[in-house]
Amino acid sequence: MDALRHRSRLAALAATVVILAACTGSATEPPTASSTVGPGATGTPTPAPSPSPSLNATFPLTLTDDEGAAVTLAARPERIVSLTPAVTETLFALGAGQRVVATTDFDDYPPEAIPLPDVASYTAVDVEKIVGLEADLVIAGGNFFNDPDAIARLRSLGIPVLVVYAPDLQTVLADIELIGQAVGEPTAAEDRGSAMADDIAGIRAATEALAKPRVFYELDATSEIYGPADASFLEEMITLAGGDPITTGSPTAFAIPLERLVTADPEIILLGDAAYGVTADQVAARPGWGTMTAVRTGAIRPVDDVLITRPGPRLAAGLAALARAIHPDLVMPDPSPSPSP
Amino acid sequence: MATQGELLATTRLRTGWSAHLRARPVALGLAGLLALFVALVLGVGLGSVTVAPGDTLAILGHRLLGLDLPVTWTPAMETIVMELRLPRVLTAMVVGVGLAVAGATFQGLLRNPLADPYVLGTASGAALGASLAVLIPVRALVLEFGLLNGFAFVGALVAVWVVYSLARTSPLSPLTGLLLTGYAVGSLLAAGLAMAMYLSGAGLRQIFNYLLGGFDGASWMRLAVASSLILIGTVAIGVRARSLNGLLLGEEPAAHLGVDVRRERAILLGLASLVTAAGVAVAGLIGFVGLVVPHLVRLVVGPDARLVLPLSALGGAILLSSADLVARMLGEIPVGVVTAVIGAPFFLLLLRRARTGYEL
Repeated sequence: MDALRHRSRLAALAATVVILAACTGSATEPPTASSTVGPGATGTPTPAPSPSPSLNATFPLTLTDDEGAAVTLAARPERIVSLTPAVTETLFALGAGQRVVATTDFDDYPPEAIPLPDVASYTAVDVEKIVGLEADLVIAGGNFFNDPDAIARLRSLGIPVLVVYAPDLQTVLADIELIGQAVGEPTAAEDRGSAMADDIAGIRAATEALAKPRVFYELDATSEIYGPADASFLEEMITLAGGDPITTGSPTAFAIPLERLVTADPEIILLGDAAYGVTADQVAARPGWGTMTAVRTGAIRPVDDVLITRPGPRLAAGLAALARAIHPDLVMPDPSPSPSP
Repeated sequence: MATQGELLATTRLRTGWSAHLRARPVALGLAGLLALFVALVLGVGLGSVTVAPGDTLAILGHRLLGLDLPVTWTPAMETIVMELRLPRVLTAMVVGVGLAVAGATFQGLLRNPLADPYVLGTASGAALGASLAVLIPVRALVLEFGLLNGFAFVGALVAVWVVYSLARTSPLSPLTGLLLTGYAVGSLLAAGLAMAMYLSGAGLRQIFNYLLGGFDGASWMRLAVASSLILIGTVAIGVRARSLNGLLLGEEPAAHLGVDVRRERAILLGLASLVTAAGVAVAGLIGFVGLVVPHLVRLVVGPDARLVLPLSALGGAILLSSADLVARMLGEIPVGVVTAVIGAPFFLLLLRRARTGYEL
C-alpha cells in the first residue's frame, strides 16, 4: 500500500516536472526568433541549384524555403495561390499578378487582388478549393501564419508549397528574391530587392546622426497594451527609422505592462491602431498615461500600420513613413521609382 | 439502489413512436444505418468546390468499384472526392463512434450522467500534450501524424493513467475517488495548458485550432491508424456490454452477478480511454457528442448496454459526420459548435418527453 502510494506521488511529481520543464524550456527558446527559421533566413537569398543567380528563369527548379523545405517546381507556375497579403503584394509587384488565381479574404492591396477568389482566412486554409483551382504553386506564411497541417496536406497532394517567413528586414528582401525565382521573375525580383535595399540604406544614412527619441509603437490597447516584442521585426524597423524602441521586455511577450511603459517614458507614441479609430485625444485621456513625455508634449502620431509592418515590397516606403513619423523634419532622399503593378 | 428492472421501468417513455422504436431496436438500427449512408453521400457530394452529383458517383464507382467509366471529370475533382472528402467523412464517422461509445462507457462505469469521454483528464492531458508539441520547434511526420497528434495521444493516456493510479489508493469510494481525482488532475493540467498557451507566441493559433477540434487534416493514412485503434477498442468494449450492465447496478450487485468488478472496471476504463485518446489525437477536442449521444440512445431504448453501445456508435457517427458537413459548408467553423447547436435542442426535446425520472 505504501509502495503504491509512493508510486502515485511519483507519478504526480513527474507530471508537474513535465509541465515545469515545458515552461522553462520554451522561455529560453522563443519559437518566434530562431527556431522555425530555415537556412533561407540567414540574410542572403537562398541559392537555387541553377548555378548563378541567372537572369533567365530556368525550370525545373528546386528552392529551399524559409522553413528548410526543398520545393521543386517542374515548370513556370501559371496558377499561383497566395496565402498571405505580403506575398500577394510581392507577386503583383513582380509582374506575376496575372498568374495569381486566389488569395486570402483579408487581402487589401493592390486593388486588382481584392476580387480574386479567397482560399484562406485568419483561421483556416481551404485545401479543397485550392485543389479545385488546380494551383501549381502555393506560397504560404511560415511561423504558424498559415496552418502547418494545411501546408503538409497540400504537399501530400502533390502541390508545391513555398513557405516564407521573415523575422527581420534582411529576410524580407531575401523572400522577395525567393518568390521571384519561384515564379520565374528573378530579374524583376532582383531589381525590386536592390531598389528597396538602396532606399533602406538612404533612410538609415539620413537618420543615423539624429538624436534617437524613445518611441513606443502601440499595436493595440483595447484590453492590454500591445507593442513590439524584444528582437522583433518592429523593433528593428523603429531602430532603422532613427528611434529608440520601447519593447515588452521579452521576445515572447507581446503585451507591455503600463508600469513598464510609464517607467520607459516614451517621447513619441505611434498609433499603429489608428486605423481602428484610436486617436491622440483618447490616448491622452487614458488613466495613468498623463505623466509620459509623449502625452505631455502631444507627440502622439497616427501611422499606417499595414505599410510599416507588412513584410512585402512596400516595406521601404513603410520605413520612410516610420522615419517621418519619428522625425517630422527629416529631409529624406528621393525613393527609387517603384515599378508599381 | 435500483435493480435493473427498476432502471428499465424508470426510463419508459410514454410517447407512442419512441415506445414503438424501443420495442424494435433492429428497426432503429436499420434507420440509423440509412441515415449514416445519407450522411456519407452528402458529405462526399458537398463542399466548397462544386462537383456534379453524377461526377461524384462516377468517381466513386471508378475508384472504389473499378468500373470502366468514361472520364467526364478533372483530376482535381478526383483528388477532392477521393483524397479530401471521403477520408474526411469517414474520419468524422469513426471519431463519432469512438467518442459516443467512450462516453456511454464512462457514464456507465462512473454511474454519472455528466460523465463524458473527457471526465478523467483525457481532454486536458491531450490539450497540454498538443500545446507542448507546438512549443517544440521540431517538424516530424510519422504515418502522416505530426508531433502534435502524437503528444496529444500520449498526453491523454498519461493523464488517465495518473488519475487512475492516484484514485486507486484513495481512501474515498472508487467512483468518487476517480471523479474527484480526475477533476483535480484536470485542473492542474489546464494550468499547464494556460501557461503553454501564454508562451506559445505565434503557435497560439495552432493550439487554439486544436482545442476547437475539426477534421481539416484527415487523410487515408491518418484514418487507417485512428480507425484501427478506435474500432478495435469499440468492439472490445462491446463484448463487455454485460459487465457494463452489471457495473451500472453497483459494485455489490455486479459482484453477485459474477463480474470481477476491479478487473472489468480497469479494462473498460483503459479501453474507453484508448478510444478517446485516438479520437482526440486525430480530431482535437470535440465536445458534446460523447456526453449526449449515449443519453439520446438511452432515452429511446433504455439502459441495456448491449443496445446502448452499438446504437451510440451509430448515433455518434451520424451526428459528427453531419456536424462536420455543416461546419464545412459554413466555411470551416468549429465542428464542436455545430454538434452543440444540432444536438442540444434535440436533447432538450427528448428530455421533456421522458416523463418518468430518467436515470442512467
